[in-house]
Amino acid sequence: MKGSNQKGNNRRLNDEPRHWPLHIFLVLMLIVTCYPILWVVTIAFSGGQSLAISDIPDNATFAQHVRAITPWPEHWSLSNFRSLFGDQPFARWLLNSVIVASATTVLGVFLACTAAYAFSRFRFPGRRVGLMSFLVSQMFPGTLMMIPLYIIVVQWLGLGSTFTGLVLPYCTTAIPFCVWNMKGYFDTIPKELEESALIDGASQATIFFRIVLPLAKPAVAVTALFSFMTGWNEFIIAATFMNREDMYTAPVGLRFFVGGFSQQWGYFAAGSIIAAIPVMMLFMFLQKYLVSGLTAGAVKG
Amino acid sequence: MDSPARPVSHRRRFVIGLALAALLGVGVAAVLLTGARQAETNERAERRAVVTLSALTALLERAGGGGAQAPEPPATGLGEEIPSPPEETGGMGLGDELAAVEQGTEAPAADSGGAVRRAVARFAETHPEVTAIRVLEFDGITLAASTDPRDQGEKQAPRRLAPDEKSFYDLGQKLRAAVESNREGAEGAARQPEIRVARSAGALSLAAPIERGGQVVGMVQMDTRTRRDPAAFAWLPFLAAWLGPVIGLLLLSLALGERRWPLAAAAALLLLAALWLYGRHALTVLKEERQASGRAVAARMAAEAKTARTLLAEVAPLGGRPAQPLQPERWDVDEFRQPRGLVTAAGQVDEGKLGELAGADAGRMTRSVITLGLLGFALLAFVGLGYAARTGQALVEYRVAYAYTIPALLGMLVLVFFPFFYGFALSFTNANIYNTDKSIYDTWVGLGNFASILGDFGIAKRTAEGLVWNYQNFYYTLIFTIVWTVSNVAIGVTLGLTLALILNLKDFAFRPFYRVLLILPWAMPTYITSLIWQGMFHRQFGVINQIIQLFGGPAIPWFDRPFTSFLAVLTTNGWLSFPFMMVISLGALQSIPSDLYEAARVDGATRWQQFKSITLPSLRPALVPAIILSVIWTFNQFIVIYLVSAGEPGGATEILITQAYKIAFQQYRYGYAAAYSVVIFMILLAYGTWQNRVTRATEAIG
Repeated sequence: MKGSNQKGNNRRLNDEPRHWPLHIFLVLMLIVTCYPILWVVTIAFSGGQSLAISDIPDNATFAQHVRAITPWPEHWSLSNFRSLFGDQPFARWLLNSVIVASATTVLGVFLACTAAYAFSRFRFPGRRVGLMSFLVSQMFPGTLMMIPLYIIVVQWLGLGSTFTGLVLPYCTTAIPFCVWNMKGYFDTIPKELEESALIDGASQATIFFRIVLPLAKPAVAVTALFSFMTGWNEFIIAATFMNREDMYTAPVGLRFFVGGFSQQWGYFAAGSIIAAIPVMMLFMFLQKYLVSGLTAGAVKG
Repeated sequence: MDSPARPVSHRRRFVIGLALAALLGVGVAAVLLTGARQAETNERAERRAVVTLSALTALLERAGGGGAQAPEPPATGLGEEIPSPPEETGGMGLGDELAAVEQGTEAPAADSGGAVRRAVARFAETHPEVTAIRVLEFDGITLAASTDPRDQGEKQAPRRLAPDEKSFYDLGQKLRAAVESNREGAEGAARQPEIRVARSAGALSLAAPIERGGQVVGMVQMDTRTRRDPAAFAWLPFLAAWLGPVIGLLLLSLALGERRWPLAAAAALLLLAALWLYGRHALTVLKEERQASGRAVAARMAAEAKTARTLLAEVAPLGGRPAQPLQPERWDVDEFRQPRGLVTAAGQVDEGKLGELAGADAGRMTRSVITLGLLGFALLAFVGLGYAARTGQALVEYRVAYAYTIPALLGMLVLVFFPFFYGFALSFTNANIYNTDKSIYDTWVGLGNFASILGDFGIAKRTAEGLVWNYQNFYYTLIFTIVWTVSNVAIGVTLGLTLALILNLKDFAFRPFYRVLLILPWAMPTYITSLIWQGMFHRQFGVINQIIQLFGGPAIPWFDRPFTSFLAVLTTNGWLSFPFMMVISLGALQSIPSDLYEAARVDGATRWQQFKSITLPSLRPALVPAIILSVIWTFNQFIVIYLVSAGEPGGATEILITQAYKIAFQQYRYGYAAAYSVVIFMILLAYGTWQNRVTRATEAIG
């Protein structure tokens, strides 16, 4: 910066710093950013279960050291992926995750849409309290909720290791965000549309399902994708509530591969790629909505 | 609402309110009372069965011991070889047994047990309600006697147990282990039940150990029918206590008219009186039930003692020495075979002990009446003072809106707000995995948990090796959490802002390319990121150590020392959290109008001046909420800590919420963990209030 200051006077209209040192910095950042991802890909396609990319002998040469940290498999192999769906129960875990995340999405979005519509369109006693309670609930720390939730869901209701026992808490975690998000969108739909429909003799339910929901399709889609991601990526509740191995969701199952004394890094890496790619693509597509939603929520909260 | 002119009838409201409140209070009390009576009836049946079982055990302990034959050689080829029932020698059993015990010699092993079998057979004859008796001898794993219809023909006792009867044998061994561990009786160790009672509809299956000469040598299992007398719901007292106050209020209201507060006071007093009277009634009923139990048990005891004496004389006509006297007053025992002491040796009900039980009943009753009374008052006030009518009106008037919101609100109520308050309540208890079925009353410890969390300042100890931190201490974890949060947010903001400033430069080459790749860590699910980094920090095979070795450094055991462990989690969290700050800053930077900079340049401002007076102030509205948000996220960053360092070494890198989780789900101390979480919540609440004030202030300046 100083350098550019000294030349400041004659470069006034073009006093940008030089780009090439910045490019070096950015490339370094890119290496740091991408290395763990490339590492996972390498392990996944290495065909083995080892944590190391290649073995280092005791008196290794420099080249062997470099080889060991180069994220490129020694031999390309799909065997980790094949046995993930063959002799490992990963397909079952993936299916569990799909079921849980889809059920969360359907139930969560339905509840959120109806509630958000009411909060957006009607003025009724308890409206402010209800809206605020959704916001306040976001402040409850996870662990404070975990203990009573565990006692209620697992010990009282006996829903441990069941889909219902996961879907219900996921829904209630997702609902506040979904309600505020949807309400914001409903607020932008002009009321006149509904009023004219009302004059034409449409019932309240018809207006909601036939007019408002189709108009809010983009918001519904975004909300649905977010709640899907909530259910898909959640780890703590699933790890605590699901004790039976055949009821694990994908995150718990992936942890199972490399947690404790188990060191099946090949399966973990291959499974991670399968579990992460859909959400990473979704995320890239949705991130601009996410950012605006988050900051809006933060400003309000 | 159609006829607003209609006068409000306080009288009607209070009568309805009282009727509902009394229905709630008295109804719940009546259901509880019926349950308590049922429990007492069941217990009575069980106690009587246990008396019978004790009599049987006493009989077997005296009758057993073996015949006059020499001890058989240790059973070797067991199973096929069924010892011939030595009917003719059976009568000698008892005398020999006692003599053997008194001489300090071992009781004869490999008992052929004729006396035992006869005792069992005679016992079954005299007790028609007993459906099966099976006696297990550990020595030789023998079924010594059985009246079970399934043990006929081939399977007739005595015989070696079949492999599929393992559970029967295991039960015997379990009881023996219980007796032995209770006898050693380590102070503070939980006693283990020595009598097993399995309940099923209309029948009980009981098992007790048989002791001879101070050793547990076998087990007797007795199946018995019980009369099922379900306690009927007593309608009359319930109706009296419910409708009495309502009628009373109706009559009083003739005098009080429509005056609101006198009506309220009368209703409240009547409700209280009804609950109190019903409580008294319940106590009397319970006491009567207990007395009836005592009488029934005493009667059973006397009868069993008589039968046992006859049988003992019959199966063991004594050769000379008197048998150990029977002690029927010790037959009414709990599952630990400790005498309950409710029936005296003379066969009378011990009124003093009964009084103690009644006192405990009264305490429980008072608490229930207070709780029900408070609920009842709330309901009474809600209806009587007109809130119910207003709520009802609103519900009808805005029914569409409520229909739309109620599903979501109900879900939130059941799975968010109720658990929240329940967690709060739990924090005042010592609830753990074993007592979650107990009520909050029974586990209440008041502020004890908070005192032991917040009152423990033993954060470090001075020892010979210098200062040693106590990683389990709350304040240590709190300080670590703050250090963790501040360093993470600092790293995130610095990196994110720097990258954003670079990417915002005009005509910067490959900008979209950089941007997409730099966001990747944010898109990656956190648990996968954490597991990857955990693998990369592996001491022997981890890539990080291999890179260090490439440059000639030593391999670092990352999770063995607090500082390196902290570096590892910090790296992981830094990697996954900077893109958020970058995206937020980039968005804010792009929204700054470029003519501001042009104007500044025209005015001769340096780049630093431009940054300070244009860029930073324009960033503030976006950056402040983002920082607030990331402070909360990092403070609660459970997954990274839990999966990368797992608190290693020894809890040094635990943050508050992972610590709370470990207390709850690895130590199973729910109450303590709930208190811990409440403290965390308070900290977050304080932070939230503070940041709210600060942002307001900055907004006011802006």
